[in-house]
Amino acid sequence: MSAPTPDAIIRLEHVHKRFGDLVVLDDVSLRIPTGATTTIIGPSGTGKSVLLKHIVGLMRPDAGAVWVGDVDMATASEADKFQVRKRFGMLFQDGALFDDLSAGDNVAFPLVHHTRMSADERRAVAEAKLAMVELEGVYDRPTAALSGGQRKRVGLARAIVLEPEVVLFDEPTSGLDPMTSATIDALIGQLKRRLGLTFVVITHDIVSAVGISDRIGMLYGGKLVAWGPTADVVRSTEPIVRAFLERNLVWAPDGRASLPHADRLLEGAAAEALKGPQPR
Amino acid sequence: MNALATFGRFGWFVADVVAASLRHPLPWRRTIEEAWRIGVRSLPILVTISFFVGTNLALQGYAAFAPMGGQALLGMFVALAGVRELAPIMVAAMVAAKAGTEMASQIAVMRIREQIDALEVMAVDPLWFLITPRALGIVLVLPALTVVSIFTVIASSALVAVVQLGEPGVPFLQRVWATTSGLDLLVCSVKAAAFGTLICLVSCYFGYTSKPGPAGVGSATNAAVVVSAVACAILNYFISELAYG
Ligand SMILES: Nc1ncnc2c1ncn2[C@@H]1O[C@H](COP(=O)(O)OP(=O)(O)OP(=O)(O)O)[C@@H](O)[C@H]1O
Ligand SMILES: [Mg+2]
Repeated sequence: MSAPTPDAIIRLEHVHKRFGDLVVLDDVSLRIPTGATTTIIGPSGTGKSVLLKHIVGLMRPDAGAVWVGDVDMATASEADKFQVRKRFGMLFQDGALFDDLSAGDNVAFPLVHHTRMSADERRAVAEAKLAMVELEGVYDRPTAALSGGQRKRVGLARAIVLEPEVVLFDEPTSGLDPMTSATIDALIGQLKRRLGLTFVVITHDIVSAVGISDRIGMLYGGKLVAWGPTADVVRSTEPIVRAFLERNLVWAPDGRASLPHADRLLEGAAAEALKGPQPR
Repeated sequence: MNALATFGRFGWFVADVVAASLRHPLPWRRTIEEAWRIGVRSLPILVTISFFVGTNLALQGYAAFAPMGGQALLGMFVALAGVRELAPIMVAAMVAAKAGTEMASQIAVMRIREQIDALEVMAVDPLWFLITPRALGIVLVLPALTVVSIFTVIASSALVAVVQLGEPGVPFLQRVWATTSGLDLLVCSVKAAAFGTLICLVSCYFGYTSKPGPAGVGSATNAAVVVSAVACAILNYFISELAYG
């Protein structure tokens, strides 16, 4: 049992997870600081979503502990997990909105289940959250009529409607064009400043990660191959980290990130590292 | 072996659904919505099929009994075959095909689109939110549908008996009336409620445990209708055996 530490609301200790022969998380330990934005990057299929699912208790590790405050999500009862989740908001990759509800009713959904507000009060709160994500006047719009970017914003409004302590983002910019990605990033930054919450983001969009994060971890082959303040990680000389950063930067629009060596194409040590063992 | 494992997992699923339903308040509003939706959607097809099953019962009964001079037994035949046996299983097959597949595909889509994960993360119990109202709704509405089916079968077979076969109508209906009892209606209602529960739980189970991707939704829907129809047919035998055997 570790004592709860105020400075790291989420702590992973020696987490192992495998599916059959596929080792996805191989002894991952991580302390996610309270009140900061932490981003986990890594190539597709390395287990970023799996990591996030461990944090919210949708998956249990084979070994290790996942502390949220003083609750270990690995062993917690369903009732305890529910208590923890009331402190969480989560934006899912495609929004995970309910199609039979309007955009606004999706945002108000958690209020129906966790508050005693009247319908009018719920509507007022949901409208206010929609305004925070710069979506005014869409309350009654059917969910199916929303664009990809709008769905993410509605999902984000829903994630913050109960004023959580921690907001988790699964690929907030995936599937969006660079312009829309940039506005979502700006929105995340703005919410962070306004609400002062703990944000946990997983993404393979390195430009987005560098733009919004205080701290970055990189997952590769089941291991955390990089972990530290954003400025340190982008200067990392680890070949695999460099390879990932630079290969991604080739595709980045100008001016959205200021990484050193952004113009350098994959070469030397980085290219060697990529030829090495692929993520299991 | 595989089927046995699935059966075991289904058992746990049912236990979880029951526990979740008891842990939270009754979602009565959504239960009534579900009952209404299942009832209204299934009604037209149910009445149509029941009607034409009734016509054929009359024809076949007449063909079987008339040569022996037993036309008077027609009403009894309709009552025994149509009311006691056919109506409940017919309703079950229809509801499995219509409401069951819809439940399986809706829930499978919610699974692959992470909406079930979202419910859990929003601290809303997905079993209670998605399955309790569907199960209660179907249990409420299926006995009613069965009664509708029974009356349709009797009406259409009477129509054929009187108009086409020239049998006297009143004795026919008296026969039907004399052959059926309160017990029959009770057994039919119990069957209907049992079939409804089975169809709902089986369909929701396959939807809930759907594999990722569109193929997952397809095979969940398929498994739902096949397994629930077979399970109802088997259960039908045991309930009849228990009640009439
Ligand atoms: N429930 C599961 N059962 C079996 N394998 C799984 C399961 N969930 C994830 N995996 C496997 O674990 C690996 C990591 O998956 P994960 O979804 O975490 O990747 P990711 O890093 O989020 O990738 P992406 O960027 O594409 O979303 C994948 O190989 C995936 O197939
Ligand atoms: Mg993912």
